[in-house]
Amino acid sequence: MPRVMRTPRAIEIDITNRCNLRCEYCYHFSSEGDVAADLPTDEWLAFFDELGRSSVMEVTLGGGEPFVRADLPELIEGIVRNRMRYSVLSNGTLITEDMAAFLAGTRRCNHVQVSIDGATPDVHESCRGAGTFRKAVHAIEVLQAHGVPVAVRVTVHHRNVRDLPNIARFLLDGLGLPSFSTNAASYLGLCRDHADGVALTVEDRVLAMTTLESLNERYGGRIQAAAGPLAEARMWREMVRKTAEGGAAGDCPGGCLSSCGGVFSKLAVRADGVYVPCTLLPGIALGRITVDGLEDVWNNHPELERLRTRQTLPLAGFDECGGCDYIPHCRGGCPGLSYTLTGSPYRPSPDACLRRFLAESGLGADTFLPGNGVTP
Amino acid sequence: MPSACRVVANPSTVFREELDDWALLFNPDTGAVYGLNPVGAFIRKRMDGSRSVRDFADLVAEHFEDVPDEVELEVSAFVEELVGMGFAEYLES
Ligand code: SF4
Ligand code: SF4
Repeated sequence: MPRVMRTPRAIEIDITNRCNLRCEYCYHFSSEGDVAADLPTDEWLAFFDELGRSSVMEVTLGGGEPFVRADLPELIEGIVRNRMRYSVLSNGTLITEDMAAFLAGTRRCNHVQVSIDGATPDVHESCRGAGTFRKAVHAIEVLQAHGVPVAVRVTVHHRNVRDLPNIARFLLDGLGLPSFSTNAASYLGLCRDHADGVALTVEDRVLAMTTLESLNERYGGRIQAAAGPLAEARMWREMVRKTAEGGAAGDCPGGCLSSCGGVFSKLAVRADGVYVPCTLLPGIALGRITVDGLEDVWNNHPELERLRTRQTLPLAGFDECGGCDYIPHCRGGCPGLSYTLTGSPYRPSPDACLRRFLAESGLGADTFLPGNGVTP
Repeated sequence: MPSACRVVANPSTVFREELDDWALLFNPDTGAVYGLNPVGAFIRKRMDGSRSVRDFADLVAEHFEDVPDEVELEVSAFVEELVGMGFAEYLES
């Protein structure tokens, strides 16, 4: 099992529960992260002082939309004063020239992540709403002009999956970004209510994998993914290759629910100041900032300790994994997704299940062998 | 730098003590992260501006076992590296 750091190295914060948009697939507004009220400036500043004393190195500000907070510059100054770096996750529509200049002036911004879902207004705005494309692209341009690193996130969904080549050309050739990352509209959050029109179908997932793998080859590895179709294709290739080579059965981290390393090095906070293990596990409350000490929660909270031992739960013990050939090389997927889909973070995530994906798509496992493309 | 020169840690950098006496240094201005073994962490904790490389070498020899004869050279190279990365600076003697 990985070692637990003495204090979290990074903190992810929903700095506000408010957002100026309502993207159809957004997880936030139908999850337990959708809390009643934002905290006042002073409370966040006191918390940042505590983070500084605990030698936390990095803060990620998400939400909601962080730039709706008029006090965001004051909050960022509190982060900088406490010797930390920061990143901001944004829809880009509220980032002005002045804000870009402010962020550049702090010299501590790791990146601002701006969401772009299309190469044209109609595709981008099909889930994000009218008038959002031009503003998001303008945000990228002013951030670039001020030398603030920009990380673009493309969420792949039913309405843009056929536009991925145009999106890659627009971002990498047109805007000259060094890279971009991809994810998928999953069944988290609002997507549960709009699943028919937005979530990827099995056919869409196959198409997204094929397209992203070939685009990534064409662009020399400049497309990244920690989740979603490209990450799944990579993970499943590894599982199929190792299974074909005949690995030993049952040793962790393969063979156990070992995919989440987050609980060993980072913690998250909801907009109401409640500590949670991850922004994707907003229902597991661990205490409240400025009331419960960070180091006490980190080192002693029983639920956090339990989540860390998740790594030792063997997949062979779950009915849904019975008789599966991939057990020795499977890690069970993100606990946040398992929590949403099954009601428990202590089960494998159905979305990350290779056996299920092969059964639903009709693909053969050899699709994922080296040299083979993900084609039906 | 002469071994008698005193050394002080850069107060705008972060010193994170980890398990088993290992530690991390973090420079928030550059994002650089530097891992310290227990001897490096021992020295960094004592960089308050009152001690020189020679003092550190003496303290290391006192506190650790099997310290090599060339400890002062090794400490000097380590301090030089921290100074080069902005984690510490020499004080005028
Ligand atoms: S819960 Fe999921 S998203 Fe959160 S750290 Fe773990 S794997 Fe990553
Ligand atoms: S059934 Fe699915 S989740 Fe379980 S071991 Fe097989 S591939 Fe992994």
